[in-house]
Amino acid sequence: MPQKRPSKIVRAPKKPVKLSPRDKKTMASLVGLADGVVKAAKGRRDPYVDIPSRTLSNVRYSARKRIIEMGNGKNRRQLFDLSQAKSYMRTMLVASGCKQLLDQGKTTSLRGLYYMLKHTIEKTKENTFDEQNECDTIIEDVEVLLTSIREELHLYAENRGAMVGNITLIDRGDTINCSRMGSGGYAIPSIVEPEVIELDRKKCDAKFILHVEKGTVWQRFNEDRFWEIHNCILTHGAGQPPRGVRRMLNRLHHELKLPVYCVLDNDPWGYYIYSVIKQGSINLAFESGRMAIPEAKYLGLRSIDYDRCDLAESVKIALTDTDRKRAKQIGKYPWFEKKPKWQTEIKRMLKNDFKLEVESLISKDISYVTEVYVPERLEAQDWLD
Amino acid sequence: MATSSRKKTVNRSETNGSAPKRKKVQRRSTAQAMAASQKEISVSEFFAKNRHLLGFDNPRKALLTTIKEAVDNSLDACEEAGILPEVWVHIEQAGPNRYKVGIQDNGPGILKKQIPLIFGKLLYGSKFHRLRQSRGQQGIGISAAGMYGVQTTGKPVKIISKVSVRKPAHYYEIQIDTKRNVPKILNGKGEGVDIPPGEKGAAYIKKHGIEWVDQPHGTRVTIELEAKFVRGRGSVDEYLQQTAIANPHISLHYLDPENYEYEYMRSTDVLPPEAKEIKPHPYGVEVGRLAQMIEESDTMSVAEFFRTRFSRITPGIAKKLCQGASTTMRTNIRKLDRTHADKIHQTIQTTKISPPTTDCICPIGEDLILKGLHHVVPGEFYAAATRPPSVYRGNPFQIEVGLAYGGAAATQNVTMDLLMELLEETDTRTVRQFLIHTFNGLGGDGADKIVKAATLKTRQNPRGLKPKEREKLFQAMKNVNVAEGQQMEVMRYANRVPLQFQQSGCAVTQTVLGTNWRGYGLSQSRGAMPKGPVTLMVHIASVWVPFTSESKEAIASYPEIQKEIRLGLQAVGRKLGMFLRRRLKVKQQSDRREIFMRYLKEVSGAVSEINGAPKDELYDQLLKVAKKVTADADMQIDDRGRRVEDDPTQLDLGENTLIVDPADHEAAINRVAVADELEADGEEEHEEYEEE
Repeated sequence: MPQKRPSKIVRAPKKPVKLSPRDKKTMASLVGLADGVVKAAKGRRDPYVDIPSRTLSNVRYSARKRIIEMGNGKNRRQLFDLSQAKSYMRTMLVASGCKQLLDQGKTTSLRGLYYMLKHTIEKTKENTFDEQNECDTIIEDVEVLLTSIREELHLYAENRGAMVGNITLIDRGDTINCSRMGSGGYAIPSIVEPEVIELDRKKCDAKFILHVEKGTVWQRFNEDRFWEIHNCILTHGAGQPPRGVRRMLNRLHHELKLPVYCVLDNDPWGYYIYSVIKQGSINLAFESGRMAIPEAKYLGLRSIDYDRCDLAESVKIALTDTDRKRAKQIGKYPWFEKKPKWQTEIKRMLKNDFKLEVESLISKDISYVTEVYVPERLEAQDWLD
Repeated sequence: MATSSRKKTVNRSETNGSAPKRKKVQRRSTAQAMAASQKEISVSEFFAKNRHLLGFDNPRKALLTTIKEAVDNSLDACEEAGILPEVWVHIEQAGPNRYKVGIQDNGPGILKKQIPLIFGKLLYGSKFHRLRQSRGQQGIGISAAGMYGVQTTGKPVKIISKVSVRKPAHYYEIQIDTKRNVPKILNGKGEGVDIPPGEKGAAYIKKHGIEWVDQPHGTRVTIELEAKFVRGRGSVDEYLQQTAIANPHISLHYLDPENYEYEYMRSTDVLPPEAKEIKPHPYGVEVGRLAQMIEESDTMSVAEFFRTRFSRITPGIAKKLCQGASTTMRTNIRKLDRTHADKIHQTIQTTKISPPTTDCICPIGEDLILKGLHHVVPGEFYAAATRPPSVYRGNPFQIEVGLAYGGAAATQNVTMDLLMELLEETDTRTVRQFLIHTFNGLGGDGADKIVKAATLKTRQNPRGLKPKEREKLFQAMKNVNVAEGQQMEVMRYANRVPLQFQQSGCAVTQTVLGTNWRGYGLSQSRGAMPKGPVTLMVHIASVWVPFTSESKEAIASYPEIQKEIRLGLQAVGRKLGMFLRRRLKVKQQSDRREIFMRYLKEVSGAVSEINGAPKDELYDQLLKVAKKVTADADMQIDDRGRRVEDDPTQLDLGENTLIVDPADHEAAINRVAVADELEADGEEEHEEYEEE
């Protein structure tokens, strides 16, 4: 039971934390949710909630805004439905957990909240949650339900992704000079909202952002001090970029007017990462407006690079059946469908029947990618949009 | 002979490539010499050598077959005389691999001159030549058992029989002369001994160590034989238990070699109706048998022959048969020869003859099947179905099916208090044994699972358990689902006799396997026995049960029989399906309420945490909604959209079903006072008979 938690005992003597305007808004929607339940119970009705559905069928591509947007489809979650009773209970638990975080003015990780809410239900042997992912999906439900993003609920994920470059920003009051981050770079936090990270146009000399797929490639660029030579910001997202990285890119792009170029593997996964950065993801469609960068460009690797860069036979990685299927799926995405260049790109890869990793360029020369490949592409403005 | 030798020559010439030299062939033997060693084989000699044909393949089976034959004979005799049978079975170890078995009944007794023939001559009996439902058929059984005993131990068969209180009891010690298939009487100078009634006789019986439970009339046979006593599948225990199920009108006293006494008391005082003898039906008679009947017949007209020797031959049909054989009704039957018989037989096949009367069959009856099953097999649901009589190859038969569904095992139904009591009164030495012997139908595997789940040591004494260990045992018994992976158990009966071997070769098993049980709420993989705590009994009653072999272990697969079995299985299956579905529904409904209840507290707690609403009030309100919602869901609407008042706990399955509360089922738990089985060797339990 939450009351018995030691954290409560510690908190008791403390004076209530002053809520920020954003927190007040979140708190209002949380209380609104709870009031709805009380009202329904008084009226002898099922206190259901309607949660916007986060599925492929409920997203559409807005050609005007060039991002994925969430549709109006909703899933009703009822307390008095056998299959939904448990998720309903979990939804309320997550909401109450967020309320406590807001009250205390603290943030916690997703895993932290999972442990905070995990307990055995009275008189049974059943746990409220058994796995963290059960909790994570409910958190996403609560986000869309309250139209408050994770950050507003005082939740964060593990830091992932790094950045380095000619920019100085303020993180929780500390000034961070990203040009003096050594070999590790500045770890992009999970929450990069203006309350946490302040960006200043004047403190940024960089002219563009180069986003690479993985840490290893990023290390190459950083070691070669690419960002210094070309005056840019260098980021990576450890594969599929997490929300923090995407939001950071989005803010840098919109607030500092920096163009974004991506260097990703030449495989369906790389295409998909680009698609997520550019248009937003299906699961987080409700956040596309704050995440997506429709102007992001795809610099490489291209399916023509094997011939163009005259790569060795040994760097080829054969496509698997899943790869081929995925490539065809991606080719049919509405945001790729009407782009002839992209269609040729995907077709070419399927024709090649192999994929290329960014590291394959190392077979030419260790610094080929930083000294030749990327500069040449940028110079020639040779990219896919 | 001629062809084979010619073949040889051809073969040789082929292999040699050149014509062989004509050489004088040295014969190994001559026809005259061979004739000297050719002689008649006596039946007893044949069966002495081929005793596996009669069920004496190995010592274990020999013991069972001996008891089985004797008990079957006793029951037949009692029923024929109209006496409620009471049978005593006594097994005593007489040496290593040597047992003495005594079987006594309260039957009518046997006349003095018949005793040696019945027990000392193979193929002597009353049952072979008549078509009448009885347990025994051929008249081989008991004498073969005696012969086996004499052969393996050299001890004679001892028979004592008494016809009435005032008449003397006859006492014989017999050996079978296998060469001539005749009995050899050893005592009383080859004449047997008469024991006078009253005190004097009692003194004689005592003095000579003759085993006899004093009864006004009855027979006791004592055979000493090489045998092995086992428990579990295919054992004497199982046979007697199954016999008790199918014969609720008998009382059975059984003393096993470990001196444990089992009492199966009768649950009804009504004898099954007397089986009528019928004449053969023309459809069931083969041409050879027909010719033989004609040959053996007394002088009479063809018309009379048909009328008196067969059932269902009307004058019209007789006339038709005569026309088929181009003879007349008035011809003397003795004048007909084999060609006539052939023609008559052919005509029979093409003539429509009404099926035989079926009142000669006396089934157990649905009531008594339910009673018998309920008495012996623990369970919560019982169903029985008796099919109307049917006919195969001119022989009437009738199929009966009974089903017991165990549901939750007995171990799951005990209370802590009852467990304490049981633990106090048990005399078993290990927890495992305690579980096996206290809870019927649990078996070694189930006991192992429970002991393991309770984290007790296998050799722990059940009486010495500490309170904490008792608690653990109790929890394990509640939680372990012993029924998991349990297969349907099929008990097969022919004329009330349990069949224990050759399961796979039997029409019953094949039909059970061929029936789709999934529709009746049991899980079943393709071509396998359905899973679940189900016991099935299938009984075939017939004037002539078609066994696949002389040892009477499996029923032959006649399509007519299989069809009837299938229909019977379906009848009980449907009832089981209804019961299970309804039970599932009741469970689902209570589950649903329970799920809602479980989460309501969490929900109201979370909501009040957010907006400070009074938690308990909210909980009560939600509880009311829950009740309203589930009540709505429970409500059923009929075709016209009106409410149907339907209480799933009230289930009308029609007649011939029995639903009991498994918690207080007498057969489920063995109290020490009632019966005391003890496993001297726990490992024996696992040994199973190989199945052909």
